[in-house]
This record gives sequence, C-alpha cells and structure tokens, in this order.
Amino acid sequence: MPFTAPDCPAVKGFIETSFVDWKGHLASVLFLGGCNFRCPFCHNRDLVLNPGGLEDVPIEYVVATIRKYRAQWIDNIVVTGGEPTIHMNLFGLIGLLKSEGMSIKLDTNGSNPSVVKGLVNDGLIDCIAMDVKGPLDRYSRWCGINVNDRKVRESIEFIMECGIDYHFRMTVVPFLHREEDVYTVAAELQGAKDLIIQTFRPDVTLNAAFSRIKPFPADKMTQIKANVSEILAGSGKEELISPRRLGIAGSETEQDNLYQQ
Amino acid sequence: METTDLNLFVRTSEESISGWNRSKIVDALIRETLIDRDSAEEISKEVEQMIRKSGIEVITAPLIRELVNARLIEKGLETSRKMHTRLGMPLYDVDSLILHPNKENANVPHGPEATNLTLAEGIKKEYALLSVFSQEVADAHMNGDIHLHDLGFIDRPYCSGQSLEYIKKFGLDLPHSLSMAKPAKHAEVLLAHLVKFAAALQSHFAGAIGWDAINIFFAPYIEGMSDGDVKQLAQMLIFEFSQQAVARGGQAIFTDINIYWEIPKHFVTVPAIGPGGKFTGKTYGEYEKEAQRFAWKLFEVFKEGDGAGRPFFFPKPIVHITEKFFHTDGHMDFLNLISDVASDKGNTYYVFDRGETAKISECCRLSFKLEESDLLDAREPWRMRYCALQNVSLNLPRLAYMAKNDDTKLFNLITERFVLAVRAHKEKRVFMEKLLSLGENGPLALLTMNRDGMPYLRFNHASHLIGMVGLNEMVQIHTGEEMHDSKRALKFGIKAIAHMNLLTEKMRRQENMKIVLEQTPAESTSYRFARLDLRYFSPHAGRIMKGDIASGEVYYTNSTHLNVKHAMNPIERVTTEGLFHPLIEAGSISHVWLGEAQPSKEAIADFVIKTFKHTTNDQIAFSPEFTTCNKCHRTGRGLTDACSYCGSTDVDGITRITGYFTKVSSWNKGKLGELKDRYRNVEFFSEKRKAAND
Repeated sequence: MPFTAPDCPAVKGFIETSFVDWKGHLASVLFLGGCNFRCPFCHNRDLVLNPGGLEDVPIEYVVATIRKYRAQWIDNIVVTGGEPTIHMNLFGLIGLLKSEGMSIKLDTNGSNPSVVKGLVNDGLIDCIAMDVKGPLDRYSRWCGINVNDRKVRESIEFIMECGIDYHFRMTVVPFLHREEDVYTVAAELQGAKDLIIQTFRPDVTLNAAFSRIKPFPADKMTQIKANVSEILAGSGKEELISPRRLGIAGSETEQDNLYQQ
Repeated sequence: METTDLNLFVRTSEESISGWNRSKIVDALIRETLIDRDSAEEISKEVEQMIRKSGIEVITAPLIRELVNARLIEKGLETSRKMHTRLGMPLYDVDSLILHPNKENANVPHGPEATNLTLAEGIKKEYALLSVFSQEVADAHMNGDIHLHDLGFIDRPYCSGQSLEYIKKFGLDLPHSLSMAKPAKHAEVLLAHLVKFAAALQSHFAGAIGWDAINIFFAPYIEGMSDGDVKQLAQMLIFEFSQQAVARGGQAIFTDINIYWEIPKHFVTVPAIGPGGKFTGKTYGEYEKEAQRFAWKLFEVFKEGDGAGRPFFFPKPIVHITEKFFHTDGHMDFLNLISDVASDKGNTYYVFDRGETAKISECCRLSFKLEESDLLDAREPWRMRYCALQNVSLNLPRLAYMAKNDDTKLFNLITERFVLAVRAHKEKRVFMEKLLSLGENGPLALLTMNRDGMPYLRFNHASHLIGMVGLNEMVQIHTGEEMHDSKRALKFGIKAIAHMNLLTEKMRRQENMKIVLEQTPAESTSYRFARLDLRYFSPHAGRIMKGDIASGEVYYTNSTHLNVKHAMNPIERVTTEGLFHPLIEAGSISHVWLGEAQPSKEAIADFVIKTFKHTTNDQIAFSPEFTTCNKCHRTGRGLTDACSYCGSTDVDGITRITGYFTKVSSWNKGKLGELKDRYRNVEFFSEKRKAAND
C-alpha cells in the first residue's frame, strides 16, 4: 500500500509489543513529546522538558512495523506522552493509525476535554486512560503548575458518560500524597468502572528531590487498593476520607522542604 | 628380609589396625589386575623395602596402594595400574565439601545428606570415567569436547515419564519393600502412593520424574468430592512435592506434572480406572469435568504460592495447548487463570502440541512425541512409562575455534563429536543392560519388577539424548555475527542444527537405537565448557565468551537460544527461537524473562494463543523475579538488595535458573553471569519507564 505521511506530531518513542499499557491486550505504544503539566514525580523528564533533544521515530517506520505485526499479533496501539492532546495535529496521527486498522487507546491528563470529546465524537478512539493526579480541589499542588480543575472535572464527567471503554489511574507518591488523598480521589470518582492505583517508582523524576522518596511498602499498597475499590463501589469507608489521620505522609512543611531542595 | 621383621602397623579401610602383611599386596594385585605372580611378588618386596627405609610406624592402606601404583608405572604396566587405581578424595576436599555448599546443581541444598550425595557422586563419576566409558569418551568429557550429564548417577537411567495408572492398577508393591499396598480406594491414599512411588523412582533415576495427564488420571477419584476437598487435595499434592526435600541428598524430587484442560484424543475412549484399581465402566472422555475441576484447583494453589507467598519450586505444571484445547468449553477462563499464575508466580509452562501430535513432557524441556506404538499403549495407559538412559551435550563453540572459518571442517567436526556422543551412549547402554540383567537381586530391582508382562523399565523404548551448548557462540566465531545480528547468521545456525537432526536420523537407523536431539538445560555445563575453552582457546575464547571474565562469571548461551542479553521484542524471540524447535525432537523452550514486571494475564493469554497459531515454537515460559525476606518471611517482586516490606537486607533472590525456580544464592558463577545479562523485556512488560509499575 502506498503511504504518504499526513501532518503528524513527532513520535518520540515507539514500543512494538507491550504487555501492560492496555489492560487486557497486547498493544504497541507511541510516545509524543511535550506536556502542559509539570508533575514533580513524572518519570518521563526528557519527554516533558526537552522533547526536541529526543530523536524522532519516523512515522514511516511506525506504519511499517504496525503492518508487519497487524495481521497476526497486534492490532491495538496506545498513544501516550507527554500529553498527546496538546498537539494540534493529533487528529491526523490518530486518523492515520485508525485507517491502518488499529484499535486506539489515548492516555491523557484530562486537561483538554474538547480534544478528547472531538476524538470520541469522530469515532477515532476505542479507549481512554486518564491519570487523576490527586484530589481535584488542590490540583495545582499535584501537577506543579496552575491548572484549571474545571477542565479536569469536565473530562472526568465526559469519560464516564461517553460510552467507550475507559480507565482512571492514580500514582501514589508518599510525602506528596497522604493516604486519605487517595480515598478522596476514589470518592470523587465514585461510580467509575475502575481506578487503577499505581506504586510510585523513585528512579528518574522530573523534580530530582522526588527520586529520594521511598514508595509505600507493598502490603500497604494492597490495603489501599482494597479500600479504593470499596469506596469506588460506594460502600461507605467515609472515615478514611476525612483528613483526620496524619502521620502516614509527612507534614506540609516537610513537603515544602522537599520542593526547595 | 622377612615381612615379620617389619614392626609396622597398617590402618586398613576396615576401620582396624593390622600388622604388616606383604602378601596382601600380592593378593590384591593378582585379584584386581592381569599381572603374573612373580611380578606381583617383586613389586610387593620393593614396596616393603621402601616403607622400611622410611622408618614410618603406622601407614594407611591407600598410601600403600599408591606406592604399588608408582611401581606399576615404573615397570610400564599402565593397564594394570589403571585396574589397580583407588577412587577417593583428598582430605582437604572432603573438609570443604562438608563445610561449604555445592553449587553444581542448585536443586541440592547444603546438609549432611547433600554431602553424602556429593561424595558418592564424586566416586561414581570417577568410576564411570575409568570403568564404564572408553578412554576416548572419558577424555573427551574431561577436556570439555562433550559433556556426559550426571556421571555421578552412572548406575541409573537419566530421566523418565511415568503414568499414575500403574499405581492405580497395581497398588504400591515394590521389590524388597516392607509392606505391600493394594490399589488405593481414596484420592488421599492415591496421592500418598504417588508421593512414595515418586521418591522410590527418584532413587533410581538421575533426573526428572514426569507424570502424564495427572488431572485426568485423578479424575475418577475426585467424582463426588466437594470443591473444598478438591482444593485440599490439590494443595496436598503441591506441598508434598515441594516440601519433600528430605529424600536423596536432601533434594526435592524434580517433578513435572502434565495437565490437560481437554481430554486428549488418545485417552477419550480409554476405560477409566477408579478406586480399588477397578475399571469404573466409564471412559476418560466422560471425566472431563472432574479433570478440569482438579486442574483448576491446582492452579489456584500455584497462584497463592507457599506459606510466604513464594512460587512453588516443584512440581512444575506443564499445560498442553492443543487444537482441541481451543474447542473445549471454558478454555479461555482456564487460559486466563494459568496466565495469571505465569505472570504472578511464573510456574506455568505452555507446551504446544500442534496438529495431530500428542506429546508427553518429562524433564526440563524434554518431551516425547507419542508414536504409533505409544498410541496403542495409550489404550492401557499404565504401560506408558518412558525413560532416557543418558544425556550427552556437545561443546559447539569449541568446534568453531578449531574449524578456523572452514565450513567443511566445521561440519565434519560436528559429525565426529556426534559419533563420539553416540559411542558414549552405547557404552552406557551396555553398562545399564548389565545392571538390569541382575533382575530383582540387582541394584535396579525396582526397574525390573514385572507386574504387567514386561519389566517396569522398558529398555527397548529408552531414548538417548544428544544436546548442544552455545550454538549462538559457534555461529559468532564462525561467521563473525551472532544469530540475532543477521538473517545470514541465523540461517547458518539453522543449517548446523539441521545437520545434527540429519545425523540423528542416520545414527538411529545405523545403530538401531532411539537417539533424540534435545536442548540441553546445561545448568552447569555451559559454565564448564566456557571455563575449559578459556583455558584451551584463549585469547580467542575471551572475545567470544558471554558474562564477565574478570569475575569468572562466564557462560555460553544455552542450546540454540539467542543471546539472552540482546534487547528483543518477545514476538521476535519466540518466533525466531521457534524456528529451531521443529528440528529438535525431544523438545525445546523459549524463555521470556520478566524481571520485576507483572504483565496482565489477558495480554499473556493473548500472546500464548498467537504463539501457538503463528509460530513453530514448542514451549514457552515466563519468568518473573522475586526477593524473599528471611526476617519477615514476605516476598516482593524483582531482585532487590533489601526487603520491600521491612527493609531487611537478609534476603534471597528467587527466579528460574534453567527449567525450574530456585534461590539465586545457590547458583554457580556461570549462571550468575547469565542472570546479570538476561534482558528482562522491561520495555515490553512494565511501566517502569513511566510514572509507575503495577
């Protein structure tokens, strides 16, 4: 099939076969550069701060690889970032992938509901995974910049009602998040299909100080996950949400110190 | 001078001290060697004189023997010297053996039983090389041209595949045992029989004991049991085999259990044996639901892991994926369950039986395709007992050093070594025939017991395995590229294995022996070959060797595998490695190393289905890594320096060494080198590159 590349955002990373990016499916993954958030715990520092310094993966290579595996192995692809929705020509890219016969999942931070809506209404995507960074009333705290949380709320509402498959995800970062913050998020998403709780991994982080944070121990995470699914299903546990319980995460002062380091 | 003049005491091997008696030397020489009496007398006198001159007062029998050997050498009586050799170990070695763990086989723990095993193996190994094999074969083993596996178990066959039907039908009636048990009436009793019989078999085989279709053969006993009781039975079975580390040498019984979701075609119409060893009047085809119930519960137990949440090391569950599997109700649920276990604990082995072939797996990666006659046996499944007498591996990289880029020479060398391996098999076979011919009074009485008109070990069905180590390095030396580097290099590798496949066919006809090619697990062999080649083929070998030469952690890539370090899409790995599998009859495997990642079960199931449909790969396994804490007894994912729960640094790593899981602390240096290199597919399986990993 002849192939002319349409106007596309630059692809900054490409994984042919992933077992984890799309729950329940083998999938390929496309990384786009740049992000409108500055979450201090972000792992893709270069992708966010310096996408220009990363080499482009030619879209021709992506398409050729997709075609190679499409018939027998992989017909799903995840578009992630950075934040894909900041690219004006994202529609061109996703349209191209769609025309290659792929099912598409979009990873987003929910800051551009209009883009998400457009993609869904045009029938271009099959699944949305949205990262919820923390309780919605203090959103700027989690994202490192001033964020209009109304946009984020709009995205959440739309995703839950738009009729296509979706996942919410939250990465739990000790010191930044308190345990009850996780439960607050779960309560805010009550009725959602799921909220995937992810353990923070202190390797390379956008704010270098965060790489010294130790993740919560594994059994604590198991407990948190269990509580989250109960809250999500609407079965009480309100006592977990109120900010009475301290001592698990550090004080605000401790956290501020961390930022200054 | 008269012997009585000598005021000398001898510490004998019978734990006593005797007075000097020169005639004992003469007697021994005449009894053990082909020497004449006059020469024997002369030698004994010379030795006596030497001892006398030394002024020593107490001497040990072994020292006298070596002094006699020295005389035999001086007189050029080399053959007699060999026959008169003493087998044993230096004090220093025994001391360190008793104190320090043996790392040749990670399945051997450290303890008095293990030491006994190692000491006995040491002597039997020497015995084998001196007495069972010809000098040419023994030398080839010693210098690392070939490797004769499990020489310490020279007086046993190598590995075996068993049928539960035998004990269901005949009960537990073993030669020389203290009591005889009639066929079991209850599932728990059958399990007890199974475990005891497995232990008896372990002491008669060197390697793995595999059990065919275990969930199907248990099915008639499970009928009517509640789900809770079936789970209990599954739990008992798995714990029995994983905790039986009290048998031979403190080793767990290396056990494989073969599991089918469907009833394979060759068992559908076979009359089922039930409680009391009686036919139930139904066929196995009618027990599908019961068999599935047991299979399901077994995997539920594997998923939970042991009391500390660790994966069970044994038994290894081997699930057969067949065409019929995909036409059997509930297969997707079952595939998701076993894939959940694969991702979480790593236990699951997926064996792909494509087309009409039926296979039985019985060792790390050894599986037999059932032939016409075997399918007749399947009508009476208690007859389905298989074994391989021995396993011999070829050191392929060495041949490439020697061939110096000359194709003809290389293929000639492969042929030469192959023929030598066949010769080693013939020599072992003669020896085994001798042992078995002693019947119920011989050392292998268990294997000669005759309950169904033929001896338990069906000698004419026995296989002889020939394996290979380091195909990748052989290709690298010869062509300058590793097999993942180019199509040309890969093709050359395939050509070499195709040549070995052809040799197998030829030699099988010529020798009328069942010679079979297999992928050697080579837990210690790849390290041994690597070390010996560094000694004999440096500096060339140093440039090829995998691992780290400075720390001595060197190895060759196992069998026909591709470089474990090379970053490779798992699709490409199972497809490319799978190209070799149809050429290797006794079965092969591709490993997908997961590291700390825990991929979703549905994605693994999807991958498995596609591997079955679109590749020629025979078998795959996914291997996660774990760190288990000796302080808080919890187990976390990934190999870490400290416990992820309590922070203690008193931890053990756990992952798959070759064909089984074990603690990393017990690994030999070569395997440690490989572990560091293993490409863990992090990109593909974990979100580590992103904000999280779950």
